Amino acid sequence: MNLGLRAILYTVRKWKKTLLVFFLLLAITTLVLSGLAIADAQKEQAEKVRGTTGASFTVERNLSTGGWSNGSGGSYSTQEFISEDVIKEIASVDGIAGYDASLIVHEDFFNEDGEALKTERYGFYSYGSYNSEYNAMFLSGRFELVEGSHITEDMKNGLIISRDLADWNGLEIGDTLTGIYYSESNTPAVDMEIVGIFDIVADKDDAVNLYDNASYFDYSNYTFCSMEAAEGLLEGWGDENEGISEAYFYVSDAAQLDSVIEEVQKISSINWNNFNITTNDEVYQNISSALSDTETLITTLIVVITAVSMVLITLILSMSIRSRKRETGILLAVGIAKPAVILQYVLETLLIAAVAFPLAYLSSKQVAGALGTLFGKAAENVIVTPEHFMLVAIVGGILLVAAVLVSSISALRLKPRQILAQME
Amino acid sequence: MNLCKRAFLYSTRKKGKTLTLLAFLLVMATLMLTCFSIQSATETANSNIKKALLGYFTINGKQLEGGITEEVREQILGIDGLSGRYTLRSYSYAEYCDAQGNPLAINTEEAAQIPEGYEHAGKIVANSNSQDDSYFTEGGFELTQGEPITTEGGNQVLIHEKFAQRNGLSVGDTMLLKDVEGKNRTILVTVAGIFTNTKEQDSIGIAPSYDLYDNIVFTDLSTAASLLYGTEDGASVQYGDFYVDNPDELERIMDEVKDIPGVAWEDCTLTRYDNDYQNAKESLEGLQNIVFIAIAVVSVICFLVLALFLTLRLRGRIHETGIYLAMGISKGSVLLQYLLEVVLVAAIALVISFGTSTVISHQIGSSLLSQVTSETYETVDLTGENEAAEESTKDLNLAEIEVAVSGEDYAMVWAFGMSLCVASTALAAYPIMKMKPKSILSQMS
Repeated sequence: MNLGLRAILYTVRKWKKTLLVFFLLLAITTLVLSGLAIADAQKEQAEKVRGTTGASFTVERNLSTGGWSNGSGGSYSTQEFISEDVIKEIASVDGIAGYDASLIVHEDFFNEDGEALKTERYGFYSYGSYNSEYNAMFLSGRFELVEGSHITEDMKNGLIISRDLADWNGLEIGDTLTGIYYSESNTPAVDMEIVGIFDIVADKDDAVNLYDNASYFDYSNYTFCSMEAAEGLLEGWGDENEGISEAYFYVSDAAQLDSVIEEVQKISSINWNNFNITTNDEVYQNISSALSDTETLITTLIVVITAVSMVLITLILSMSIRSRKRETGILLAVGIAKPAVILQYVLETLLIAAVAFPLAYLSSKQVAGALGTLFGKAAENVIVTPEHFMLVAIVGGILLVAAVLVSSISALRLKPRQILAQME
Repeated sequence: MNLCKRAFLYSTRKKGKTLTLLAFLLVMATLMLTCFSIQSATETANSNIKKALLGYFTINGKQLEGGITEEVREQILGIDGLSGRYTLRSYSYAEYCDAQGNPLAINTEEAAQIPEGYEHAGKIVANSNSQDDSYFTEGGFELTQGEPITTEGGNQVLIHEKFAQRNGLSVGDTMLLKDVEGKNRTILVTVAGIFTNTKEQDSIGIAPSYDLYDNIVFTDLSTAASLLYGTEDGASVQYGDFYVDNPDELERIMDEVKDIPGVAWEDCTLTRYDNDYQNAKESLEGLQNIVFIAIAVVSVICFLVLALFLTLRLRGRIHETGIYLAMGISKGSVLLQYLLEVVLVAAIALVISFGTSTVISHQIGSSLLSQVTSETYETVDLTGENEAAEESTKDLNLAEIEVAVSGEDYAMVWAFGMSLCVASTALAAYPIMKMKPKSILSQMS
């Protein structure tokens, strides 16, 4: 009888024992596979957390390398403004999640009947914007969009107004307003469609706000319009002193901020002598140590689980081999070579593993999700990949063989007679 | 021979088997305990993240007569859930004079208008720590000489470089601040520092003279209180920003603040600022869920493995069981013997596991700690300023992460471990016990 047949026969005849070992292997492999998947999910989730910290860098005109000129409103810098091409080019760098730039316009608004809009205080403060969700007013939580949508770069004439302004003038989403910047200079009238309405969260009465141009306008008179509309409003104004002087780029992973900036600075078509880059990742800096603690803890947890699983498998196999001392003695006594006996044991174990490992792959795909939903926690991120499986199958296989070999040593050191004699 | 003795003898004579069982149970218990200690440590880490996201609320008490008094502030700080970090602010206007009472010159060239009575006046900004003021954090102001104002009293001011030049003032000189409402409040102050702005003011030509960067003076809270309220001590302030530990509790804390008696809360505006937290909230919960799922998977599978292992062990003793029964020992006492063996070993394993898991947890904890120290070390190296690095970690006042086995977890592992051992042994023994001795012995291989 060859050893292959012996292995199969043992496995089949002792089916209850086989089944037990099988379930043990299945459970432990499932555990390790889930652990690996959880480790990956953890990395992804931590990256997501870092992405929500609003880490960004600002590109602004470098006033110190540009010239200065005098105009009607005092001296102004003749440094080049940031063009749309520059912004689009930077925004296309990998790792940038979103961007915005502001072109400030103080236009007058007229409704569809040509009447000027009613406000409590005179003067509008309009941000020409590419993606208004990345405007500092929204990101900082001072404003909150409550109706409609944000302005995106593909909108030509979108407009977002405050809830107060909408109420005072009976405006709603879909209405059209006409903006005129400076009628005396024959700047064109630009029609804009209201796409969103925001609520004012911040307390404008808080004197902390009073230090820049924007602070002299009521929050309710703030509006956000498409960049194209803002540029249209300024057309023919003829002042070189208008343009985009700052653009903001938000990265998807705060930990990558520096490397993204490095990439950006490699863009050769931009004359970096004319622009400065400043970073803003204060929130990330605040939480980074606590966040990396969490990451380390979860990673440690997975390492502990994996290590323990290895020990458990070794223990189980050695126990199962040791209980077969008598059998080993008999096999040796009938003249079967020691390597053949060991090989038979290895073969039996691998037979079971061959079934248990793929099954564990399937079950681990279910386990994390099922447990998650059972306790009402989403586990969408916990995904077992084929790579995990390969890793576990190879390392697990080696471990199994090693465990069988180690546990057989004690039995195989002895002569068959000694083995059988020491049996009870 | 009674069953206790039998159990004891079996355990000691079959040393190998007992040791395997012990090792198995020990590993399991250690795993569970370590998992639990890691879980509670991640909870601490998570609440640290929540804290570091700096949720706060601002009380605007500008309209309050007498401002927000020290007494009220103490009551607010006594509310459960505040992190203890807070910023107090006051804003006013004052006329600037030299120590002899002669008016000082302000920048009037770039002003949109110079309101009457403000020809020598400017904006007064008072902050618990002048470095934390938005002019410095967002407006691009930088201190070039002297020290920032960090005390509530002391009659100190910070002045703009240009203002200092214009009036020939330098650090250590004195000047007078006079209120602009004609209430005859005059305070002698010392110039503690000189600042400059790194960003140009974009509201030149729009802003009135007193709002121009050159004409702003920073001072301490009690000086501002003297100007605003005429009080000498117990500085009242106009605004307070109070930071909380957990931004989820902002609503409750703000409600509690509004319940403090003796304040006309209807004249105050309370605003919550927790945008950073709201942004991160969902992904943070995801991170917490992952830990939870990991622990759940480990627990369930551990129990499964333990039950299987005990069954496997008992099945190897069918022969022995048959002999016991044939000898006339009752099934109950055989089962009890098996249980006793397992419970005995389990008890030893659980006792040792407390030690092993404590050692492991300690190891994990110290590796976290060394991470933190190495980070701080790095900052020190870079800036060369020991103080600054220490301050940044102290600032947030985060809880130290402790990876330790709690008594509760230990008790839980004991209870579950023991009941599982008993249950799975009994369950595994059931099919064997059902059989007659004869059939057991005849089915032996």
